Amino acid sequence: MDKKTRDIFITSFLAILFGLICSGIMILFLGKNPISTFALLFSSMFRDGYTIGEIFVKATPLIFTSLAFAFTFKANLFNIGAQGQFYIGSLVAASISLLIPHAIAIPIAIIMAFILSGIWGGLIGFCKARFKANEFLISMMSTYVALNLMNYLLRTVLLESKGEYPQTDSLSKNTWLFKIVPHTRLHVGFILAIVVAILIWLLLYRTTLGFRIRAVGQNQEAARMSGVNPELIFVFAFFISGGLAGLAGVTEVNGVQHMLLQGFNPSIGSIGIGIAILANANPIGIIFASILFGALQVGGTIMGQISGVPSSIIDLMEGFVMVFVIISYFIRNKWEINREKKLLTEGVK
Amino acid sequence: MEKPFFELKDISKYFAKVIANKDVSFSVNRGEVLALLGENGAGKSTCMKILYGLYRADKGEIFKDGVPIIIKSPKDAMRYKVSMIQQHFSLVSAHTVTENIILGNVKGKINWEEESNRIQHLADKYGFSVDAKKKIKDLTVGEQQKVEILKALYLDANLLIMDEPTAVLTPQEIDNLMNFVKDYSKQGNAVIFITHKLKEVMSVANRIIVMRNGMVYGNVNKEDTDEIRLSKLMIENSIEELEKPKVDELKKEVCVSLKNICVKEDQEIPLLNNISFDIHKGEIFGVAGVSGNGQQELCMALCGAQKINSGSIYLNNKDISNLSIKDRIGLGMAYVPSDRHRYGLVMSMSLAENILLKTSYSKQWSKNGLIDKKKLKDTTNGILKDFRVKASGPFAIAKELSGGNQQKVIVGREVENCGDFIIFDQPTRGLDLGAINNVHSAILSEKEKGKAILLVSTELSEIFTLCDRVAVFYKGEIQGIYNTSDLNSEKIGLLMAGYKNEGESING
Repeated sequence: MDKKTRDIFITSFLAILFGLICSGIMILFLGKNPISTFALLFSSMFRDGYTIGEIFVKATPLIFTSLAFAFTFKANLFNIGAQGQFYIGSLVAASISLLIPHAIAIPIAIIMAFILSGIWGGLIGFCKARFKANEFLISMMSTYVALNLMNYLLRTVLLESKGEYPQTDSLSKNTWLFKIVPHTRLHVGFILAIVVAILIWLLLYRTTLGFRIRAVGQNQEAARMSGVNPELIFVFAFFISGGLAGLAGVTEVNGVQHMLLQGFNPSIGSIGIGIAILANANPIGIIFASILFGALQVGGTIMGQISGVPSSIIDLMEGFVMVFVIISYFIRNKWEINREKKLLTEGVK
Repeated sequence: MEKPFFELKDISKYFAKVIANKDVSFSVNRGEVLALLGENGAGKSTCMKILYGLYRADKGEIFKDGVPIIIKSPKDAMRYKVSMIQQHFSLVSAHTVTENIILGNVKGKINWEEESNRIQHLADKYGFSVDAKKKIKDLTVGEQQKVEILKALYLDANLLIMDEPTAVLTPQEIDNLMNFVKDYSKQGNAVIFITHKLKEVMSVANRIIVMRNGMVYGNVNKEDTDEIRLSKLMIENSIEELEKPKVDELKKEVCVSLKNICVKEDQEIPLLNNISFDIHKGEIFGVAGVSGNGQQELCMALCGAQKINSGSIYLNNKDISNLSIKDRIGLGMAYVPSDRHRYGLVMSMSLAENILLKTSYSKQWSKNGLIDKKKLKDTTNGILKDFRVKASGPFAIAKELSGGNQQKVIVGREVENCGDFIIFDQPTRGLDLGAINNVHSAILSEKEKGKAILLVSTELSEIFTLCDRVAVFYKGEIQGIYNTSDLNSEKIGLLMAGYKNEGESING
């Protein structure tokens, strides 16, 4: 193992440890014993197969939304609207699955959700390219448009047959994403997420198109002088980004909820941003970071149910871990530079 | 003996992968002009940035009047009356001269009238023709530099560090600056003058420190040396003699042709007015002129980044006036831009990726839809070797290289991708002699291959040694096209200043 990889393991471990210590202090303020609370947290995460499966179920949509943020981030663009694109994807997936109650609905839903939420995202890129609009604001505000569009549809054409709650009827079992591990909720969407993450990595780092996206992100003017049209890249990057967030809608609707509910999963967009930053926008790193956050969510929910510590302590813990992971990134850099300096000094002598 | 004013002792500074300074020791006395001479990347600026508190040394001490001092930030440096004028000015262009100078140095309610009078007085005292109430953006580069100097004088600096102060100035302004430096040092102040131009060193310095590879290689008084001896100290390998360009008959075939090109932005004066010329195959066509007279726009119009309002451009008899940058690259037009940081390289990417940048649309790099990494690596290695680029390998990050080596990478890439026509826009600006030589021989070898070459340069010696014909630009117009052999520097100087023929002024 080279020194760089060693550094990553050491610092990531320490970051998580410090995150736990800090949130432990917060638990002390609640008058609970942090050690036993954490013991409960970890034991509850792994208490049975179902719960372990749950970790990956929670990680699946997070992989997609953090990929969505990471992809535009590579072009030096900020897509804050993954939440809205996720809702568009959910709407498309639910509508198609209700219209076509057969297994064929699954691939159609995946493709259409990608394309339509891609267009929804691509519009942000278009506004940026055409009107020099600030993509940060537009993408953020587009979430509210998507949310209200969903609410409207859930109260009108998509409203359940009973007409009581703003939600759709249950989807036909044919359109559910099939389970890959029996006796859990873990569905094939997780595999899809991993495959997509690898494809995104290939696109960014092994194709000339991905190279151009990164070049625009690092030096737009040099890219333009080399024949690249940055405006087209804006639209394309936002299209892919929106599509990725839309896929999270398919896996949540067809894989977990099996219906569309009003305002469900309200924070997977923002957690996705955190995960992407934590993983330094690396698609492969995102897979692992998402699993970590999935685990924290699962453990936190159970802990809240049985120990009396509010499960929101988990949000706090995620926050602390994130802060320390970001700090560790700079520490690693510093170590690397010091090593180079030492080599040089020795070389000179 | 009197203690030196400022003394650096055994200063060492390492950046990741690079030794910037190694055991650098020298001193500067009151009333002295010290020149810090060396090639780009020799460690001159780094060493001065340490003295000014912008960097911290990894090792070594600084003394003032024999007393050790610690300088952690420019604020500390200013307390010891040290001031540095950076190569790139740090002025707020929308603010006035007064506002810029008092920035950070005033508290509470500002008495504008008094401050601006004080600054005006200071400017007049040193014979600077600067209006304290004017906005920075309305000043020329030379005047802006004076504002930077005034900033230092306003703080009563006794040691003035200037980083390549003449790079942006006209000959007239350089003379003014030199006079100021002499005047200022006579009053018991010290000046450290960072430069790589031997002529300036000999004209202004009392003593010269020569740096090379981050170390001090010479500490000589002006009286004891001359330009030749200094250049030998400065450069490791002796410079190769440039092969004189062959004065063979121009091939008759026209490669590039410009017909009545006009470029206007808004309703102002045209940036380019009615530009027409042809470049033949195997010809180096020079564009001379004081920078900012339309050369940049000409290059941008040729490569497709600047829309032309009228006229047409032909490459090998094909009208390319409306083609995109991408299509022009596809036709084999290569361009070495003058601003390599902005237009030439992606600094945070590897050299290999920068080689790929210009031809990312070409099929040659693709294998099964993915980038052919091996081919890219081999090509990059080839360029690094051919152009003697000092880098750790094809995956070194561009910003880790010195300016000269970065430029070699760009020239290497453009030569590699070049079809029939290549534009060099100020290809040796800010480079050291070794790199200049490298670039010049690349230009000549392209000529030998029969390519059409457009060379924009503000260095007359470059124009005279390389070009077959030269067009002199003045205010976006061509003053005339001459065979280089028919011109001398006096004639071309008059043309550059706007006189079409000797004694005949065109603009009053």
